[in-house]
Amino acid sequence: MLQLIFFNVTNGLIIGAFYALMAIGLSLILNLSGVINFAHGGFLVIGGYLAYALTPRLGFWGALIVAPFLTALIGFAVERLLIRRLYGRDPLYSLLLTFGLAFIIEDGTRQIWGANGLPFSVPAALTSPLSYQFFFITGYRMFMVAMVAVVVALLFVLLRYTRIGVRIRAGTLDLETVAALGVNVRALRSLNFAVGIFLAGLAGVLAAGQIGLEPTMGDALLMPSFIAIIVGGVGSLTGTLLGGLLIGVASGLTAVIFPSASEAVIYVMMAIVLLVRPRGLLGEEGMLT
Amino acid sequence: MSVLEVRNLSKRFGNLVAVRDISLSVASGELRAVIGPNGAGKTTFFNLISGFLAPSAGSILFDGRDVIAVPPHRRVGLGMARTFQITEIFPELTVFENIRIVTEVAAGYRLRPWLSAAEKAEVRRRIEETLPLAALSGKADRLVGELAHGDQRAAEIAMALALKPRLLLLDEPTAGMGDQETYEITQLIRRLHQDRKLTIVLIEHDMRVVFHLADRITVLDQGSFLAEGTPQEIAANEAVQTAYLGQAA
Amino acid sequence: MTAGEYRRVVVLAAIWAALIFAPYWMPVFGGYTALGSRVLVLGLGAMALNFLLGFTGVLSFGHAAWFGLGAYACGLTLKFIIPSTPLGLLAGTLVGGVAGALLGALLVRRRGVYFAMVTIAFGQVFYYIAFQWSSVTGGDDGLRGFARQPLDFSLFQIDLLHSDLAFYYFVLVCFAVVVAVMALILRSPFGRTMIAIRENERRARFLGIPIELHIWIAFTLSCFFMAFAGGLYALLNNFADPRVLHYSLSGDFVIMAVMGGMRMFWGPLLGAVVFVVLQDYLSSLTVNWMSFIGVLIVLIVLFFPRGILGLIRQRRTA
Repeated sequence: MLQLIFFNVTNGLIIGAFYALMAIGLSLILNLSGVINFAHGGFLVIGGYLAYALTPRLGFWGALIVAPFLTALIGFAVERLLIRRLYGRDPLYSLLLTFGLAFIIEDGTRQIWGANGLPFSVPAALTSPLSYQFFFITGYRMFMVAMVAVVVALLFVLLRYTRIGVRIRAGTLDLETVAALGVNVRALRSLNFAVGIFLAGLAGVLAAGQIGLEPTMGDALLMPSFIAIIVGGVGSLTGTLLGGLLIGVASGLTAVIFPSASEAVIYVMMAIVLLVRPRGLLGEEGMLT
Repeated sequence: MSVLEVRNLSKRFGNLVAVRDISLSVASGELRAVIGPNGAGKTTFFNLISGFLAPSAGSILFDGRDVIAVPPHRRVGLGMARTFQITEIFPELTVFENIRIVTEVAAGYRLRPWLSAAEKAEVRRRIEETLPLAALSGKADRLVGELAHGDQRAAEIAMALALKPRLLLLDEPTAGMGDQETYEITQLIRRLHQDRKLTIVLIEHDMRVVFHLADRITVLDQGSFLAEGTPQEIAANEAVQTAYLGQAA
Repeated sequence: MTAGEYRRVVVLAAIWAALIFAPYWMPVFGGYTALGSRVLVLGLGAMALNFLLGFTGVLSFGHAAWFGLGAYACGLTLKFIIPSTPLGLLAGTLVGGVAGALLGALLVRRRGVYFAMVTIAFGQVFYYIAFQWSSVTGGDDGLRGFARQPLDFSLFQIDLLHSDLAFYYFVLVCFAVVVAVMALILRSPFGRTMIAIRENERRARFLGIPIELHIWIAFTLSCFFMAFAGGLYALLNNFADPRVLHYSLSGDFVIMAVMGGMRMFWGPLLGAVVFVVLQDYLSSLTVNWMSFIGVLIVLIVLFFPRGILGLIRQRRTA
């Protein structure tokens, strides 16, 4: 029993790290641009399939690095061409636009790579279990968590100590003042959007190695990412990280007791948070409206 | 008897004292102007009276009742109506509909799914009574968002009047207006004051307007009370002149 | 009558005439009666959403939840409790509406994107329940084993199941009743406070309107209308599956409202006509219909944000 709990908590942490990676990207875009990116799952799919296409030429490691950058480039173009036009309009429109994009991406992926799932192989060094006793912790899972940890830590450092990072954080709190200080807010938003999409692309490559590729693979991750943001508190990246890990562990633990409710439990957590602490665990009061 | 009685009102934001120990009393039917150089604390003072800010100290009596604890939207129900520096209207509705909403809310109908014929007629009668007060009778069917700036301001005043206020608070009613519009709004306020005997407190930058309209003037400077008196007394007051000239210099 | 009132009467008469005679003129354009019923039901859903979105200015992106709850509750009632079409509809409306009222109370303090995000996420709760609880709901395969029952007027019966035409008129009568209720509310003092909140929330609050209460009431009414439409949808298909609860359908309703013109009472119905017919046509034509719909959405957002009716009105005033 103890091993079962340990298994599920670990598993929950791994899934939670994954939710957090998605959710932090979403959160970055939401905070600075006020856009709920419905196509975030779609960009994850793009990242995964790009890695699939690149692996024969670049190998796994090359694809792992290049695919997220290419995805970010696509995201950058989408922001420049489409999403930028909607800033300052009712949030309804950017929401709808990304909703439409998600359709196009899903269908486009199916058109290019087919509707059926594709396998995505990772280096053998990563697939073997760490030990006999902890057979469920494969090297790849550890690798995924390590990647997420490194990337998220790097992101937080960049946001705290670089000039652009500080501007992004300041823009989250008060965009008008940042603009008044002479910062090019348009460029800042484009860059920030690309960073968010980079994280989605990376999540796509990592997910592909774990569960393989499918045109709809982003769907299952989109909702938990939303919930991670709501639970953690809108406006707080640390909150989003915490929210992602928490709901991951919660669903892992629930799987021990009541497997069919493991997905429902994250919604219950959201309801409780909204009842007890409406602004989320680390949300700012002013971010409510 | 005074409609509005302010006693030792203060407001601090951290270390900054925006309003310091101000008292004033506005009699029924009086038109009181509150003036002062930029940063004198006029807007803060106004927001304290209408309840948008909570004071750090002091009391506000409306009709003899302490309203410090009453939130702004309930002060409306007590008969205190205000306009805003930036016109606050329902832009995509007509003048008539703007005033109808206010009239119905003031009549306590806001949750009603329908009105009887008599109630409808009464609402219509009240709207038709309000429109000419703001010289808007001919523009009832125009969208407020498409009106000229001066007419939008008039519409906002009409909305405040539809609340049947006992005290009307006007926050810079001629802000951003040309000479002609300023003249029209001034005439409108004058009619409300003289014909309708309405009690009015206004903040204003334009001294022509202030000296033309006010019965009494209160001058604030850097958050503190500087002087109070009739327009003639204020015009002759040296301290006031220094405050304004000092700022101009 | 002024020119405006005259035009309004003519337009209304034209809309109702078109709906009443739809089964007779639609075949000319390749339509069929069941498609007409589908348009009416989804159009009613879009109008129910727009009651909140277009007239209170509150963006719910999870309204399929109430639609789907209405559908499941109606289907389950017919299957397990009592084989009666009106009672099934009633149960659907109540379950969806009451659930909406309860969750709405949790949501009303949120605005804008955050309201949208929370509604999306909560909407998915019911999707998972329907998906997982297969012993009752049929899970992914959907809820089967119920069918709409004849309407019993004691003197005579109307068979809704075997006559598409009879069912179309049943739907049309239901549609007319709900639409009339919506129109009455929107013309009432309460309806005007909804519009006041949409136009300028700050001003409305300062008038003494308790914003949260009024938004909650509008939200709840919208959920009841939505659940009723969902009940009709279960009757239309004699079937309900988890997709009626999915946020994709919520998105479809929002698109219908925006495409038709969300500031206009009849806009969402027009949007539903275009959207449903287009979807029906495209999916028979190409496997890539999703891309076409996606591109259509992007084009609408970028170039016709006021929708078809908004465009027509702009032309007229210009």
